[in-house]
Amino acid sequence: MMRTKPGLHFLCAVFFLGLTSLAAAAEQQTLPALAKPFAATDFTLIGEDGRSYRLSDYRGQVVLINFWASWCPPCRFEMPSLERLWEKVKGKGIVILAVNVGENRDTIFEFMGQYPMSFPLPMDLDGKVVKAYPVTGLPTSYIVSPQGQVTHRAVGSREWDDPRLIEQLLQMRK
Amino acid sequence: MLLLSGLILLNPAQAAEVQTGIDPEAQLPYWELRNPEMSLRLVQRVPDQTRAFFQARGFTNDNAELIAQSCVFQTVFKNTSHETSPSPLEYNLHEWTVLFANQAHKMKLREDWKPEWVQREVPIAAQLAFEWALYPTWQVYQPGDYNWGMSIFNLRPGSVFDLEVVWKQSGKKHTAMIKDIKCAEDTYVAPQGAE
Repeated sequence: MMRTKPGLHFLCAVFFLGLTSLAAAAEQQTLPALAKPFAATDFTLIGEDGRSYRLSDYRGQVVLINFWASWCPPCRFEMPSLERLWEKVKGKGIVILAVNVGENRDTIFEFMGQYPMSFPLPMDLDGKVVKAYPVTGLPTSYIVSPQGQVTHRAVGSREWDDPRLIEQLLQMRK
Repeated sequence: MLLLSGLILLNPAQAAEVQTGIDPEAQLPYWELRNPEMSLRLVQRVPDQTRAFFQARGFTNDNAELIAQSCVFQTVFKNTSHETSPSPLEYNLHEWTVLFANQAHKMKLREDWKPEWVQREVPIAAQLAFEWALYPTWQVYQPGDYNWGMSIFNLRPGSVFDLEVVWKQSGKKHTAMIKDIKCAEDTYVAPQGAE
């Protein structure tokens, strides 16, 4: 029996945000190194801004690839800190590619009204890029070294502008 | 308010405490298994929440109803060992057992649903949303890692079951039982402040 009623979206939002705060409470932020780094699979995706983004174009820089979706509460939780990180590191040899999984431009554009993001937002419309990386849950972030090796992974949200994380990223430029 | 409901000692070396209560944000019951190195929280999802979520992502009413009637919990599994003794945590939902009405069965996982969605010709974008919304079947968490997602137990609303949880950490296999977990009833929950 169908019983979708007004106010349900509000209820869902409260529920999701609650879980988010539960899961990502202020704690020590970690960015673990992979035991076995691997070569980053190259990809080319169209961004929300209509531009084309190819991973290999950023060779020589540290690339933070963040796989996300707008309906994913931990993804939403970390977006503001990702934007703050971007404000602090852009132009310093660190790039953020926040790859949206499976959503269209209109959905992302609407999301940006609530969560302003100025870094590139490539769209993985058919989910092929996320499948090319060993991702099993959203959000998952990978760090690609200047040499094109995937060296670190974070599963779940992080406070990306944590000073220790920023320092860790800056050190990876070497 | 949290209520301590049990101390599970299936593996004495890794005593895991189970707590239950009302999630302060969701205002719905939760069951949480916790020790200093990990925590697993299951929070009820009322069927209306699940219907709305999947209808908004391209599922027909019938298909959204199928999911909503299958006992869905919001799940957060964390490796908290970075606060104590850092060690990876690994799990595989195929190893978990649902005990209901004196019978054991398995959870209904991403891989179990996929053929149904293909057969029902669910749009690809909706299938993608479903896949990523469900809790990962297998995962290795490094210290500080966690996932968030929906777990589906394939029971009718209101059913009460036990869940045997299995994970590996610090070089050992751990087993714990969470008892008397209740699937949400199929009732409408009004938002706070609404008539």
